[in-house]
Amino acid sequence: MSIVLDQVTKRYQAIPVVNDVSLKVEQGEFLVLLGPSGSGKSTLLRAIAGLTEIDHGRVFLHGRDVTHMSAREREVGFVFQHYALFRHMTVGDNIEFALRVRKAKAAERRARRKELLRLVALEGMDDRLPTQLSGGQQQRIAVARALAHRPQVLLMDEPFGALDAKIREELRRTIRQIQRELGMTTILVTHDQEEAFALADRIGVMHQGRLLECGRPDDLYTRPQTRFVSTFLGAANLLLGYRSAATVRFNSQVATGEAVPREVVAVLRPEEVELGADESRVRSNFVGFGEVEEVLFGGAVERLRVRMAGDGPVPVAPGRQGSPEAGSLLEVSRTLPEQRDFPVAIGRRVAVGARRVHVLPTPISSFTAVAETEAEAQALCDSPLLSTLGARMHTRVAMRVGRGDRAPPGMPAVATGTGSAAAAQWQLRHGAAQLLCVPSTAMLPTHVLIHTLDAGARRATVPVAASLLRHVAAESVYLGIHPAASIEKERAEYMRELLDARSAALAEHGLDMRTELRFGSTADELGRELVAHPNTMLVLGTSDPGHIDWTWLGSLLEGQPERPVLIVNAAQAEQALGN
Amino acid sequence: MASTWFRNPSILPGFGLTLGFTTFFLSVIVLLPLAALVFKTASLTWSEFFSILVDPRAVASYRLSFGAALLAATINAFFGFIVAWSLVRYDFPGRRLVDALIDLPFALPTAVSGIALAAVFSPSGWLGQKLAMAGVQVAYTWLGVVVALILIGLPFVVRSVQPALVEVQRDLEEAAETLGAGPFHVFRRIILPAVFPALLTGFTLALARGIGEYGSVVFISGNLPLKTEITPLLIVIKLEQFDYNGAAALGFIMLVMSFVMLFAINLVQAWGRRRHVAAGR
Repeated sequence: MSIVLDQVTKRYQAIPVVNDVSLKVEQGEFLVLLGPSGSGKSTLLRAIAGLTEIDHGRVFLHGRDVTHMSAREREVGFVFQHYALFRHMTVGDNIEFALRVRKAKAAERRARRKELLRLVALEGMDDRLPTQLSGGQQQRIAVARALAHRPQVLLMDEPFGALDAKIREELRRTIRQIQRELGMTTILVTHDQEEAFALADRIGVMHQGRLLECGRPDDLYTRPQTRFVSTFLGAANLLLGYRSAATVRFNSQVATGEAVPREVVAVLRPEEVELGADESRVRSNFVGFGEVEEVLFGGAVERLRVRMAGDGPVPVAPGRQGSPEAGSLLEVSRTLPEQRDFPVAIGRRVAVGARRVHVLPTPISSFTAVAETEAEAQALCDSPLLSTLGARMHTRVAMRVGRGDRAPPGMPAVATGTGSAAAAQWQLRHGAAQLLCVPSTAMLPTHVLIHTLDAGARRATVPVAASLLRHVAAESVYLGIHPAASIEKERAEYMRELLDARSAALAEHGLDMRTELRFGSTADELGRELVAHPNTMLVLGTSDPGHIDWTWLGSLLEGQPERPVLIVNAAQAEQALGN
Repeated sequence: MASTWFRNPSILPGFGLTLGFTTFFLSVIVLLPLAALVFKTASLTWSEFFSILVDPRAVASYRLSFGAALLAATINAFFGFIVAWSLVRYDFPGRRLVDALIDLPFALPTAVSGIALAAVFSPSGWLGQKLAMAGVQVAYTWLGVVVALILIGLPFVVRSVQPALVEVQRDLEEAAETLGAGPFHVFRRIILPAVFPALLTGFTLALARGIGEYGSVVFISGNLPLKTEITPLLIVIKLEQFDYNGAAALGFIMLVMSFVMLFAINLVQAWGRRRHVAAGR
């Protein structure tokens, strides 16, 4: 392993900008950290170089723990966005700087300088000043300078950000070539996905300080695990689908007697959409009818927007596309042969099929605010926590007045306060796999406390917590609580269990959480933790809602101060997954 | 031919107008008084002029004026850099206050700072007492002159270096760090070359001001002939004795020496600029 990061956390004014990032980079691997601006990718890179100190976690370079070493001692090559060349030195002196610092002999310096200038294809530029070179040439010199002392890893912070498109592409090729030639372990930070695809062996997508997913470019594109990655890497239509047996359907009408299908979030790439004159002409999974609203010619591909009929598929975020009755907008892109086979114009009615749909493994598909009156339901929808969560997850927040005969699909939400315990209990008993109890004034939590009432509930609880935490910049702690009377031998067992839970959460869901072990009563320990961190959300997992101590949970939901609680009904969740 | 020589596109209209104004303004404000000085001096015979020039009292005063100014400017270059550094690089409570304090010697009537210094450093003064115990006397010695010139010159260095330091981007230092340079190396090879021209400007300004300083020095120097008498004071003494020609001659000598020194420093600076920014940025 060339670079190993273990739970690296960096906070600015108590807000984590890099949140519990663990990562391994192989020798000779080219990793691209991709993310929007402010996602923490540059901070993470600087932490690896030792230019930024971290608050928590460890950094290893080639097996050496460098967490507490300065940038000088880490032996890394760093390339800055704005080159950071020393303007008062010639190109040659710039390249030799690292060797001069190390008091290398003049002959050795000269030889290395020649070699590096050849590598970046700028031979004979030794005596120029950086200001006499173009931007692209300056960045090449910066790369040569960063390689002079034969560093073990090369770190590049948006190295092409200040260059125009053509030079950028050329330089990209040079970098890739050099990296291959030297077998240099490299991490490059960028916000440009095209760049990431062109360079990376592996891409790590960062968002709000978290490393959401890390994998081969084609894997990330075809099988994203999260909403963010699916829409950030390429375009995607996110739809609420209903999974039954092997297929995913896009309308919620359920034939009587059929098992209730599970609501899922489906990714439909624009290029996987098939258009046809009518249902029989669509060879793939029929989605519904729509009307072409926009056609953009773009050379090799044609981009269209198709307005689906009102009873058609439900987009994950209807709020952005007008009233639900108007139907959803579908992004479509078609190649030239497809255009020739079936030319369309604006206003044309088309049948829409989905060639390939990828279902996100997230257990939180949508929210439904359940209340007795419409006003209450509306207030719940508008509550800061629920509305921000909905917006962050780009998902639908629906309303339901009255309980109906069973829990709504996705995640029902009820208001905390008087009567909420009974409402929560009803939802869990009537098919809710998960339930969010929302205080009317609560904001997004800064702490998330995860606890399962029994070991069997862990498998279903962790993915829910992971799905939530991808969209919330909060620190997460998994709390294991055992009876105070437990003996020494059992304690070791508990500890191992807890660590297993942590590594499973990391491996399967990309959720890096801290773990803590407590001995005492559940109510006391959770209560203590909730008091210690005022802005905490509790994620509580159980295999059987009947086993919950409802007087205790009731006091938590109905007492003061009100706190958001997410209850995972593991039995129901596992049943849905098995469906 | 001449018109193509000077033509240089610029946002200010009328090259002829601006050059004309510059010439006129410099003539009236700078050259005319100086010419009068030269003219006055020219009424002396060569031997008279020469005897004033090498008068032992005058020679001693040159040494003090130029020596103290040079020493004070050097000390200021050093400490002024540190002050500018801490103002630019660190954020500490009261930073703005300190920043404002720097300019105070600019604004204060020089006599006031002179009296204040004398009060503090005189053998009965608050600091002077303690220094006297250590066997050091500042007031009424050449040391006092240096102290006064340091006070007067500090803002010049700080205000020149500050903007240059702001310009030295953090990523240059970080780049040097990742390349293995220690703090000393970063300072010596990265920061210093970048701010050196500004530092030299500050040094020059402080030096020029120090050579001509009168008000703050006369109160603390004691004004002992041959020992702590500065040239400007000697000129004033001559004026008080209605020896206008003698005063003019001394003034002329100061003028020539200052001009030579400043011109030399300017040449050094121009040379440095050419070396660093050859062929434009």
